[in-house]
Amino acid sequence: MMRDCWFFLKLFKPYTMWLVSGIILSLITSMAAITLLSLSGWFITASAMAGLLSIDGNVLAFNFMLPAAQIRALAIMRTLGRYAERLVTHEATFRVLAQIRSWFFQQLIPLVPGRLALMRSGDLLSRMTADIDALDALYLRLVAPVFVAILGVTAVTIVLATYAPIISIANGLILLVAAVYVPWLFNRLGNEGAERITVLMANYKIRQVDTLQGFADLLANQAYERYSVFLQQFSDRMIHTQRQNNCLTGISSAITFLLSQISFTVVLILAGLLYTENQLTGSEVALVVFCVLASFELVTPLPQALQMLAKTQKSAQRIRQVAKLKPTITEPQQILLLPQSYDLQLSDVCFRYSDQQDWVLKNINVQIPLGTKLAIVGASGSGKTTLLHLIMHYFDPEIGQVALAGYSLSQYGSEPLMTCFGVLSQRSQLFATTIKENLLIAKPDATAKELDAAIKAAGLEKFISYLPEGLNTWVGESGVKVSGGEARRIALARLYLKDAPILILDEPTEGLDSETERDVFQALSVFATKKTIIMVTHRAAGLSLVDKVYRMEQGVLRDYHL
Amino acid sequence: MHLTESDNQTYFDKNKAREKICAVWLKAQAKIAKKWLYLAVSAGVINGWMVIIQSAVLAYLLQAIIIEKLPLIVLMPYLWSLVVIFVVRSLCVYAYPVCGFEAGAQVRSSVRQQLFTQFLKQGPSEIKNHQSGSLATVTLEQVDALEHYFSRYLPQQMLVAILPISILIVVMPFNWIVGVIFLITGPLVILFMALVGMGAASATRNQFLAMSRMSGYFLDRLQGLSTLKLFGLAETELSNINTMANGFREKTMAVLRIAFLSSAILEFFSAIAVALVAVYVGLGLLDQIHFGPAVHISLQEALFVLLLAPEFFMPLRQLAINYHDRAAALGASDAILAILEKEPAGQFTSIDIQKPSSHHLIEFIHVSKKYDQRTVLTDINLSIEPGEKVALVGESGAGKTTLINLLLGFEQPTTGRVLLKGETLTQTQSAQQIAWVGQSTYIFHGSIKDNIALAEPTASAERIYEAAVAAGVTEFSIHLSEGLETQVGERGYGLSGGQVQRIALARAFLKKAEIIVLDEPTANLDDSNKALLLAVINQLFKQQTLIIATHDPLVIKIMSRHIKVSQGGIS
Repeated sequence: MMRDCWFFLKLFKPYTMWLVSGIILSLITSMAAITLLSLSGWFITASAMAGLLSIDGNVLAFNFMLPAAQIRALAIMRTLGRYAERLVTHEATFRVLAQIRSWFFQQLIPLVPGRLALMRSGDLLSRMTADIDALDALYLRLVAPVFVAILGVTAVTIVLATYAPIISIANGLILLVAAVYVPWLFNRLGNEGAERITVLMANYKIRQVDTLQGFADLLANQAYERYSVFLQQFSDRMIHTQRQNNCLTGISSAITFLLSQISFTVVLILAGLLYTENQLTGSEVALVVFCVLASFELVTPLPQALQMLAKTQKSAQRIRQVAKLKPTITEPQQILLLPQSYDLQLSDVCFRYSDQQDWVLKNINVQIPLGTKLAIVGASGSGKTTLLHLIMHYFDPEIGQVALAGYSLSQYGSEPLMTCFGVLSQRSQLFATTIKENLLIAKPDATAKELDAAIKAAGLEKFISYLPEGLNTWVGESGVKVSGGEARRIALARLYLKDAPILILDEPTEGLDSETERDVFQALSVFATKKTIIMVTHRAAGLSLVDKVYRMEQGVLRDYHL
Repeated sequence: MHLTESDNQTYFDKNKAREKICAVWLKAQAKIAKKWLYLAVSAGVINGWMVIIQSAVLAYLLQAIIIEKLPLIVLMPYLWSLVVIFVVRSLCVYAYPVCGFEAGAQVRSSVRQQLFTQFLKQGPSEIKNHQSGSLATVTLEQVDALEHYFSRYLPQQMLVAILPISILIVVMPFNWIVGVIFLITGPLVILFMALVGMGAASATRNQFLAMSRMSGYFLDRLQGLSTLKLFGLAETELSNINTMANGFREKTMAVLRIAFLSSAILEFFSAIAVALVAVYVGLGLLDQIHFGPAVHISLQEALFVLLLAPEFFMPLRQLAINYHDRAAALGASDAILAILEKEPAGQFTSIDIQKPSSHHLIEFIHVSKKYDQRTVLTDINLSIEPGEKVALVGESGAGKTTLINLLLGFEQPTTGRVLLKGETLTQTQSAQQIAWVGQSTYIFHGSIKDNIALAEPTASAERIYEAAVAAGVTEFSIHLSEGLETQVGERGYGLSGGQVQRIALARAFLKKAEIIVLDEPTANLDDSNKALLLAVINQLFKQQTLIIATHDPLVIKIMSRHIKVSQGGIS
């Protein structure tokens, strides 16, 4: 487990300077705070004792200007130090996160789309971004406080030792218990609960998704109430486990607190004894006592840091698991150049997602020369979309082969191969940027003229003319909300711009109103005359576009007559 | 990115207004957790008061040891009282988060309940519009994100109002000048923090839109990675992500710099106050001051006020640390409210005063249904008698499913009425009397048996078995090692479409309802399975009223009455 965190710590390397400066500043600030309190205690006591002397008639010999100036300097140092520390540690964290993000993105590129299509990707990816964000705790909450605690405690112990070794030892031992034993103990005690809560949460999520997806079935069978009561009970169980975990945290902070107070009392008594034996002066007693009181601030963040560690480890582990996945296809040693012809041929193609699962495609044989227009109908789950994925080489067939211009797809590089396909599916991926940028994804060097033609072909002029900023309007979360129909038209315009020879249409009009549906097919019929069309649909509309219809029945492709 | 001032302003204002709504809602939720909140605050207050007593004892002890040189033996009672204080304070340190947790737990539990009820109100067609994964995230993670607002932020907010004033009241009679120092610096801190806060708000305002656009960038590109790859842009995007991350860092740091400044100011003023107190009492001790209570100050008094000085600012500093709990809760409540605020799609607008009378089993009277602008059904009049076998035919999108949804009470008609046994139909009523098998039956986590007994979990094993046999479930379950006890789930993993259909039929059969509604029961089946299924249907539901939506000629043939739905009307 620790190995996962270690792995990410190595990614921090380019930013060592930032990270080290953050720790140094943080240490300076803590030390300034401790010195400030100790010096103040010393100063007040020394003043009181000097004052007593002057009442006795002696000349005032106490120079109060210097320590007073030092106190002011320390107060300013603490304030400025804290400010600088925060700036530097946060700057460092952001830099590190950026590094991890681009590393993760790079790891993901070969996994897409094949490997990731097998997972519920939307949910997984938002989980991933949260996990990456959680890694900021690695430095901010874990590495930095631990370093500061180790260095700070050492410094305090050494300084105390110059005044009174016995006090230094007593305080050092208790600090050690508070900094090492208590966090370790409670980390161990809390482990089971932390694990249980993860399991409970995962199970709760499954039940909750169950309840929502089967919502209609539950309602119609008068079972929703039963299920929601069950979920509520489940939630109570989760809360109960969290309660136990929270109690442990409470106990651990109470113990840390109590230890600090015990140490303080012990030191107070010891200092008192040393004072009566004249081994310490009165003002040194105050200095030592206040120093001990302040030194516990160094270790207070540690129990929390260790609790954090478990969470951070989980996140690190999850990210690494995804990054360690093998791509579904391997790039060939010798990459074949793309052919001049785009004839597809599927021969004896059999496919399943894993050895344990049933065959999804059974013995598919079909010839698709350039310009062929075919449709595949069939129930959902019958294997239609899987077939499209095989044609686009997301996966290799287990038996048989998919060939382009006579050569197996696995002999082409995956990136150049993608230039052959234009895809329109029920999910039109829009990026959070301007409409123009969204279109240019299909052809980064498109001229204004080409853009206009694409917009016209997709029937987007009206939509764009309504927008005050036209093509430069931002879409997505913090921009204009785009309806499903408009998004599909943008995807259609991309298809037009990309001008690929083979069009893959996966339920291209699913979820659209009939007007948009008609427009989409109208546009396709005009610009796809010379292209190959492979369409999957379960609607009757659009079948006029194709010359031949197949029906997929549980992985078997059959001729279909309307 | 070219963003104008006004872009930012509008977007910021919109968000500000939303934040306000969320904040009000959060406050309202605190009501049910009052008891625990007050307990947590009590623990915090007792702890704070103990600090005052502890400072007094400590100041006395140091005075006694250093100045009066009393032997430790004499001071034992004081040392013991220190120990008692420590124990009490430890208990408070423990009780504070524990009570706070209960407050948060109660709120979370109640919000979850509210969400469950809201789902019920919205009905299945609305729920289907959302990704169930993201709805589940709201009920789990987002609700959990409320915890710290109630367990930490709210109690701390109350402590800020109580503890500094307590300290002031104690210090005033001892040393009014120190009291005045507190009295001046305290409000000054708040004033300056507010000023800086405004600066931060304006800094945020200037960059708000840019920042919020950038913050989702990574997730956006991650989710669109397959699209990017399709267009050969994945590698190019990598450098964009780096540029964006750097831009985001710069803009965020610009805002954070000001936010950090606000806590630096807090720290600065508390340091100034402590220093002022230290200088004042220090000079007093040295007889350098000839005004106020410091003239004859003892070490004990000096230490007492000095120890209390940082404690005066402590609650405020803690609140500043807890401030992000509030931000997190606001974010979560935005997502939760988005669900809770939604008007239920088709609540009963029971305007029918006169009791309708109908002798038909099912009757549709002038029923129309519109979604926004789109009319799906217009003026449907239809009656169905007991025992009829009805086929609803028509193209997909013609309104068959809407008709069935109305009959099941999943949706309410825009105008007109649907009557079941002469009474206006409600969802509960129709759930009692109608057994329904939808187009894609959902298989829940659990055994096949549990899934059959969905409507009646207490059904006897014999009756479940009987239903399983009748619907042909046993034909395949017999090959499974655990038979009907076999665990299934996650969209019925491991079950074929035909097997799922049979479980659904067994479910309907076990229910012993008078009316059976089947929506496209043969859509997912091949010819041989289809014939088998039709035989089963014929057999199972001989006595009942049967309504089947279909466009399968085989099915239509076996039904005695045909109703054609086309373009929102029937014939």
